[in-house]
Amino acid sequence: MERALVLGSRNGAAHVERPAIIVRGLRKSYGATAVLRGIDFEVHSGEVFGFLGPNGAGKTTAIEILEGYRRRTAGEVTVLGIDPGRPTRAWRDRIGLVLQECELDPLLTVAETLALYASFYTSPRSVDATAELVGLGVKRDARVRSLSGGEKRRLDVAVALIGDPELLFMDEPTTGFDPSARRDAWNVIEGLRALGKTLVLTTHYMDEAQHLSDRVAILREGEIVAIGRPAELAPAGTTSTVISFRLPDEVAIDALRGSVSAPLETVGGVVSLRTENAQRVLYELTCWAERERVELIGLQARSPTLEDVFLELTGGNHG
Amino acid sequence: MADLRLVLIQARYALLLSFRDPRAVVFGLAFPVVLLVMFNSIFVSGSSDTVHFAGGTISGEAYFTAGIAAYAIGLSTFTTLVVGLTTQRESGQLKRLRGTPMPPWTFLAAQVLRSVARGLMLVVALFAIGAIAFGVHLSAERLVGLVAYVALGTAVFTTLGMAVTALTPTAEAASAVGPFAVVILSFISGVFIPVDQLPNWLESVGKVFPLYHLADGLQTSLVSGGGTGLVGADVASLALWGLAGLLIAKRHFRWEPQTARA
Repeated sequence: MERALVLGSRNGAAHVERPAIIVRGLRKSYGATAVLRGIDFEVHSGEVFGFLGPNGAGKTTAIEILEGYRRRTAGEVTVLGIDPGRPTRAWRDRIGLVLQECELDPLLTVAETLALYASFYTSPRSVDATAELVGLGVKRDARVRSLSGGEKRRLDVAVALIGDPELLFMDEPTTGFDPSARRDAWNVIEGLRALGKTLVLTTHYMDEAQHLSDRVAILREGEIVAIGRPAELAPAGTTSTVISFRLPDEVAIDALRGSVSAPLETVGGVVSLRTENAQRVLYELTCWAERERVELIGLQARSPTLEDVFLELTGGNHG
Repeated sequence: MADLRLVLIQARYALLLSFRDPRAVVFGLAFPVVLLVMFNSIFVSGSSDTVHFAGGTISGEAYFTAGIAAYAIGLSTFTTLVVGLTTQRESGQLKRLRGTPMPPWTFLAAQVLRSVARGLMLVVALFAIGAIAFGVHLSAERLVGLVAYVALGTAVFTTLGMAVTALTPTAEAASAVGPFAVVILSFISGVFIPVDQLPNWLESVGKVFPLYHLADGLQTSLVSGGGTGLVGADVASLALWGLAGLLIAKRHFRWEPQTARA
């Protein structure tokens, strides 16, 4: 009976048109503390949906409600047509999870780990093909203990994939990776998109969200403050321009204050300012520099990236 | 039926892991064997030395062999499980398992099965050493009783391991509680010291706990005599502890890490 249900939903058209995830007025409180203050969004089938927000914004709480780990306080949630507050076995059969801070048994090999998890699902993927997909083909007989951090995380992804799920949740899949491991993981995730999977991922890295996601939602203090395509989000959310440069070591930033009509910020020696009127601020800036005979090293003016939008919307509490 | 297959697969992996884990091999396998040889060499001066207990009278060697077997079952099921499960819970392994379609009971049943299999292996090993090196004799009639005690004892210590896991917040606490409970109880359960040498009040304290009854049952199965050697009081006490463990585990067992997370 369960088997028929699962296969039916896989092959049938019932879930194709309906959004994979529907969230309406989702609230979560722990005692008097509200962690989610009523959020609404939908994730479409086959879409990569990114969840962004500073620590404590409620990302993990939201995703764990969708995964069936936590009960919600209020609101309506549907994941693959099922209320995750009452998870069923057939529903779990269709979902893959990459959790935060979640280890695998260090004494099993890669192939054993995948075979064990494969046994839980009604129609699992092949162990070898899945290890190959995440680039662990050559490590199939290595103990989990001997894998590098990046390899372990790729094994997490492989374990999430082994049941051949329709929908994958990935909570910070690349946190702690070095840049090359991160690129590898991106390739894996893009491979999943090509397989037609629906993906929900949370991340700290804006470039990652911008690169991977079809749409993103930015969460702040339990509310969604922006939602849309990464490319649209930046110009639509703000019309400002980011101007940045470095000053020579002997010139203090205070010398510049009062000469330009925009607030200055310095991060690691790079001065940046946001303005709605780039033409005027650039004129003021270059006039000051010419007059004082100061070189503005690496001067550039650009549209804000997703990271700029994020910092603006979340009050600079990034991290 | 398919779920029974899941129990067997998970039990096989759990058994495999307990042989790969150096801690489990040393404490659950090597340690009891060394203890058996030492106790029988140091404390039993001659074959005339016998121990009198409720089940009858047996040689000191047979008494210690059965006692150390009970101790080994305690360590390799209860202690190994408490430390193992709290570690698996803390590292998020249990949480991940809970997120799969695998029914939770099959995981727990696999732990019981793994423990029973390990318990039987241990007892076979220890009794074989006892028979070869110390002339311990097991009658065919009492084999049924012995197997029943081993199966019941390991199952009981497994459910108690789950119960204590449920009540112990961290792996650090568990690695203190797990071994401590078994070692302390061993002194008053007829494992390290024959019960006929204990003051009555201490023996009465020992009788409250399941290790006493497992040791007593295994020792009785080595007494030469008719029947299976099953003692009603021992079986009843073990069953009650097992039931209590099961109820506590069912009510309080958690799959997620118990340390606060942001």
